[in-house]
Amino acid sequence: MKAPGADFWSGLALGGLGAYIVFEASRWEYLGPDGPGPGFFPLWYGIAMVALSLALMIFTFKENESVDWTGARRALGAWAAMAVSVAALKLLGFLICFAALTFFIVAVMYRRPPAVAAITAVASAAAFYMVFPLALGVKLP
Amino acid sequence: MRKSLVMVAALAFAAPVLAQGFTPTRPVEVVVHTGPGGGSDVLARAVALIIEKEKLVPVRMQVANKPGGGGTVAAAYLAEKKGESHTIGFFTGVWLTNPLTIEKANVTLKDLTPIARLVLEPAVIAVKADAPYKTLGDFVNAAKQKPGELKQSGGSITSRDNVVRQQLQKVSGARWAFISFPGGGERIAALLGGHVNMMVIEPAEAGEHIRAGNIRVLAQVSDKRLPAYPGVPTLKEAGFDVTPVPQVRGVVAPPGIPRENVVYWEGVFKKLSQTESWKKFLADNQFEDGYQGAADLAKFYDDFSQQMRVVLQEAGIKLVR
Amino acid sequence: MEILSGLMQGFAVALQPMNLLWCLLGVVLGTVVGVMPGLGPPATIAMLLPLTFLMNPSSAIIMLAGIYYGAKYGGSTTAILLNVPGESASVATCIDGYQMARKGRAGPALGIAAIASFIAGTFGVLGLMLVAPPLAKMALAFSSPEYFALMSLGLAMVVLLAGRSMIKALLATLVGLWIAGIGIDPFSTTARFTFGSRELLSGLDFVIVAIGVFAIGEVLANMEGREAVKALPVPKGLRNLLPTMQDMKDSRFAFANGSIIGFLIGVLPGAGSTIASFISYGVEKAVSRRPEEFGKGAVEGVAAPEAANNSETGGALVPMLTLAIPGSSTTAILLAALVLWGFKPGPLFIPENPAMFWGLVASMYVGNLMLLVLNLPLVPLFAQVLRAPAYVLYPAILGISVVGVYSTSGSHFDVWLLAGFGLMGYLMRKLDYPAAPLILGLVLGGALERALRQSLMMSEGSLSILVTRPISAVMLSLAVLILLIPLFNKFNHWRLRALEK
Repeated sequence: MKAPGADFWSGLALGGLGAYIVFEASRWEYLGPDGPGPGFFPLWYGIAMVALSLALMIFTFKENESVDWTGARRALGAWAAMAVSVAALKLLGFLICFAALTFFIVAVMYRRPPAVAAITAVASAAAFYMVFPLALGVKLP
Repeated sequence: MRKSLVMVAALAFAAPVLAQGFTPTRPVEVVVHTGPGGGSDVLARAVALIIEKEKLVPVRMQVANKPGGGGTVAAAYLAEKKGESHTIGFFTGVWLTNPLTIEKANVTLKDLTPIARLVLEPAVIAVKADAPYKTLGDFVNAAKQKPGELKQSGGSITSRDNVVRQQLQKVSGARWAFISFPGGGERIAALLGGHVNMMVIEPAEAGEHIRAGNIRVLAQVSDKRLPAYPGVPTLKEAGFDVTPVPQVRGVVAPPGIPRENVVYWEGVFKKLSQTESWKKFLADNQFEDGYQGAADLAKFYDDFSQQMRVVLQEAGIKLVR
Repeated sequence: MEILSGLMQGFAVALQPMNLLWCLLGVVLGTVVGVMPGLGPPATIAMLLPLTFLMNPSSAIIMLAGIYYGAKYGGSTTAILLNVPGESASVATCIDGYQMARKGRAGPALGIAAIASFIAGTFGVLGLMLVAPPLAKMALAFSSPEYFALMSLGLAMVVLLAGRSMIKALLATLVGLWIAGIGIDPFSTTARFTFGSRELLSGLDFVIVAIGVFAIGEVLANMEGREAVKALPVPKGLRNLLPTMQDMKDSRFAFANGSIIGFLIGVLPGAGSTIASFISYGVEKAVSRRPEEFGKGAVEGVAAPEAANNSETGGALVPMLTLAIPGSSTTAILLAALVLWGFKPGPLFIPENPAMFWGLVASMYVGNLMLLVLNLPLVPLFAQVLRAPAYVLYPAILGISVVGVYSTSGSHFDVWLLAGFGLMGYLMRKLDYPAAPLILGLVLGGALERALRQSLMMSEGSLSILVTRPISAVMLSLAVLILLIPLFNKFNHWRLRALEK
């Protein structure tokens, strides 16, 4: 038997989410004296989620349409960079973090020479500074 | 001996200067728990405008919207600004009731620095103009005959609308349904469209609809009659022995601020409450002047919380504090 | 006729030089605000309130209204060029608009958006002018059961947005419904799915999810390729920068459908432009002769939602001006402004302030025209944005998203959420889960649940209320019919295959 494809796993994950929803919903009031309680709606869509996830898993179990993960490392790397940048926002402020992120993207992701990366980073950050706080009065993080 | 006399004399002159204490030197942040256009936001902006006009504060008052969590985000924000002298916040009834029912709402008015109570919001009980009820008694009797069938539109179940309902139900034995609508506009729409039978509404919202003949007021939720509604009985006058739970708005400051700041802010808002512009604002919006200083506000908070606890428990709402 | 004389009076007010200036200022400001994701008309109007006290109220309302409908024009710009919805109503525009940009047709997309917005905006004002009071009364007949039916109809549109896998689309919708439910339940004070976090108590802001999933997800997906120099093909030559006659012809029905649906939904207090644009998009796809083109860059897929979200502004002003009932956060703050200026909005507002009402109406015609004239020539300019190399554009998109989100709430937590949803958007793309149903579920979920529970409270627990009332019964039947379409198609397919044998 072939190994199950990506759809199977995502179906499983969603099924898990659905099960969690149903579990939480069962702890809340289903039908109160004044009408349906907080557990009513989530219970139903949780059940639907579980049912559909199972359907998905069953139907795609045989297929093995694999997802093209070749570029994923780069994309996830970019995301990690963004996450680091967001984490540092409170400490270093937007301009620095953004410039750093831009530098990273230009230099690492797109393999442009460091000089180009640096110029882009500074120029972009400057542009942001001019447009947002100066021209529009919007606070930067 | 003479040196110490001089010293005492110097201190005596210096004391009033020292006691002058705090005045703000940069723009003051006014925290509200709604987005732009929401009730607190509008009030804060109006107050800022009046303060500016009457030159009560030498700097700009800037409204900062911190919506979210039903008011808990704004309260928590203020609590975090410990010792900050250029931040104040506007609170409403939800700031007082949230800590009772929501676990995460762990900032009570006592955790902050009470400054002043400004406004009491009255309310009236209204039905559609073509409804068969001429008095509150009519409505309650009709509800008694058909328990659970009549409907009231209102805000969340901890809102004053539901509190009034709980109190009336308890004292009369009648029962009617309560339907929550998050937005004030939707509540009025439900009443006007005939989907609910009754609602508790603020006079300012009701005013124009009454003038246009769309709705009729049965009773007013207050201790004494409002000037705008001389002919409408209060709850007690209508025969229902219920102490109306007030809906209040006021000012708080972050915890841990020096005494002189409190005195300053208290002074500002006391002066505000005495200006003509403020009195006109209250009259235009049909608010009641509920001015109380910091100490009275603190006591009011205790009484109010006690009252709310009783009401909420009877309504079957779980208390967490 | 009364209307004609009122309109004359209105133009007399609106065409005064000062008022023209205020109108221009308003619409330009509105456009700018609309382009920026996150920053919206309510906050802008709130910031300008002190200034308005120095103006006379007629001029002030002209300017503020200009910001309101101007923002709708602006929101489509970033939606089309960068897949960043500038306004929540622009999400539907992203679907086909961005695809058109990817095919080198950014210019026509922007142009059609502007034209659709103009036609629909004008239609909305016409509607406001002609049928405001009677329509408002009819809108009152709409209550929770009808809203539930409307939301269900909107959700049924998922079927039309599905793409290859219906199951995945439905799952995405359910996840959207779940996200919508995060927060304090208004009916019971129970906190749901908040994972113990205070920030989540009020639920997730739709803008954060939309920008994260659409814009950031797209950027991440594009980062996979190393060699992309130009982000998107830029068409050369003026002819390729504006919509063609064929585009205009294809969009004929979209203009009409968007205008009407947008206006009607706007009139309903509580139903907003996001719902209007999605329903209009769905309807357009349903009646189209080439539905498979939708999602790949069909021009009418841009025209319909853009028209809907513009005529919705005219519609939203109906309950606001006739009953003092705000339909959205922008109309709420406009109402607050009126109160602060000393007016008493309500049923008697229009009869007692005819100069102001008609001045406003007339100014809206003028404003829409101004916006068309401003936006069309700017289309080639905006399209040049795409010239920027990928490595400049993508970080800029990330930056704009972060700033936009932060500007609405000032919370770092929200920026974190944005990053999280960006990752989710990327994964969804890789695993072929369509994003539009997620957004649809998120937008409609809260309202759907509220309407259902309110209805059941009204009927004391009986579901029959949903079908005994005529309006809701009709809409629910429509929703069910739409849901059955894919089954019908499958059946047809099977039948044809059987015939072949």
